[in-house]
Amino acid sequence: MSNSIYELVDKLPTGGLTVKALKSLDFVVPGQWQNLTGFENTIRSVTGETDEKLIQQIGDRAVTLYNDKSQGYQRALWLYQTVDSASGALGTAALANKVGQDVSFLGFLKNLTPKPERAQSIDLTVKLVVELVAFCQINGIPGDSIGDFLAALKDYSGESLMRMAALVCFDGLVPLGPDFALKALSFVKQMSPSDLQQNQTFKAVSPLIPGGDPSGQLSFITQSFDSTKGWMQHFVASHNLTPDKVVNNLERFVEISKDKLDYLGAFLDMYVKYYEHTGIQTLSRRLIERAVAEI
Amino acid sequence: MVSVRWQRVLAPLLLSLLLLVSACSSPQEPSRFAQTQEETTQKGAPPAVDPDAQKGGSFNQFFPRSVEGYEIVPAQEKQGFAEYKVNQDGVNVAMLAISDTTGSGAADKFQSSTETIATYPAVEQGQTATAILVGDRYQVKVLSRAPSFTQEDRAAWIEKFDLNGLANLQ
Repeated sequence: MSNSIYELVDKLPTGGLTVKALKSLDFVVPGQWQNLTGFENTIRSVTGETDEKLIQQIGDRAVTLYNDKSQGYQRALWLYQTVDSASGALGTAALANKVGQDVSFLGFLKNLTPKPERAQSIDLTVKLVVELVAFCQINGIPGDSIGDFLAALKDYSGESLMRMAALVCFDGLVPLGPDFALKALSFVKQMSPSDLQQNQTFKAVSPLIPGGDPSGQLSFITQSFDSTKGWMQHFVASHNLTPDKVVNNLERFVEISKDKLDYLGAFLDMYVKYYEHTGIQTLSRRLIERAVAEI
Repeated sequence: MVSVRWQRVLAPLLLSLLLLVSACSSPQEPSRFAQTQEETTQKGAPPAVDPDAQKGGSFNQFFPRSVEGYEIVPAQEKQGFAEYKVNQDGVNVAMLAISDTTGSGAADKFQSSTETIATYPAVEQGQTATAILVGDRYQVKVLSRAPSFTQEDRAAWIEKFDLNGLANLQ
């Protein structure tokens, strides 16, 4: 049996590389992310309630909603978990065993190879589409509503905004440079459906990507990324973000080397599971918001 | 002789120590939500939402619209449920929700209600929620997300919904 929602939230780490890397992005979205962990703690924080009977009722309802597969919450979690593990599945089994542990960048540099820009571009675009589809699953909007997602993106806050900041910084700016959005778009536009099917990240999440067949999925991915490109470019410009700034801040939290930027993307891919971490936080928040309103 | 006596004393001592240590390190108490977890993951567990509950989208028309100073932003839309955020200067200060109580038992709390808002039975839940029951079926709830959004604000925002329209939703 899969984990219960309260176990997932209770087990969220309070330290380690993922948390450190996300904390390094506080300069981008100040105060938006406090790494809220623990299920009861999340109920208290989201609702502001202290009454024990009410907390019990809210938690029970949230657990019930999560466990009903038709509600879409489990699909959203699967997407967040799968896209993270697939995009990081570059290394050897020995390295994979270290995931979640506190490993240093320099220590593992010899085992990493930089990811080709094309693979990195596909990862970025697939991750963005995963956010869109998970958003629709969690919030109950038809799975291909690019317009609704774009409207909601403007209102993103807390851990959801942090996830997008990490996507832009760790999967865009650092591995692909300042013009990452245009670069990634031109890569996916030149791609054939069979190129897409060979990508690990896409392969892992493809059952839930709208479009019907690989060709339809490729056009959905391209269309989604094209529509969101403006938001990402505005995000970078309005925060004056550069790869250097991201790396400088990351250096304050994680031992890295600036002259190995090519490798940094691969390192982050492998050890920083920010989609799953913040995805569980988003999921529990939405469940609790719904539960307290329904009881 | 001395060593035999020592062993006699030592054995029960060690045994007690072992029991004490194992008692202290026994697995954590089950979560307070474990019972619900078990019930809702059993084979044949009832769905979380009654199949007869209204589609969430059918509630959208009854929510208040943005007014000066407050932006109303869609949040969730699921079967039997719809929710909007109330944002003030970009900060979330409250949530507005309509839910269908069909099959959920959420309407029971209104039976002992002595208050009304816009003629509908009303209850306060905890420190942050005010709810009414419309047409004996639909729960309209306003939840504070900032201390500045008071109980009076919640009651005032409940009256901004199209409650008559909702009462007639079949």
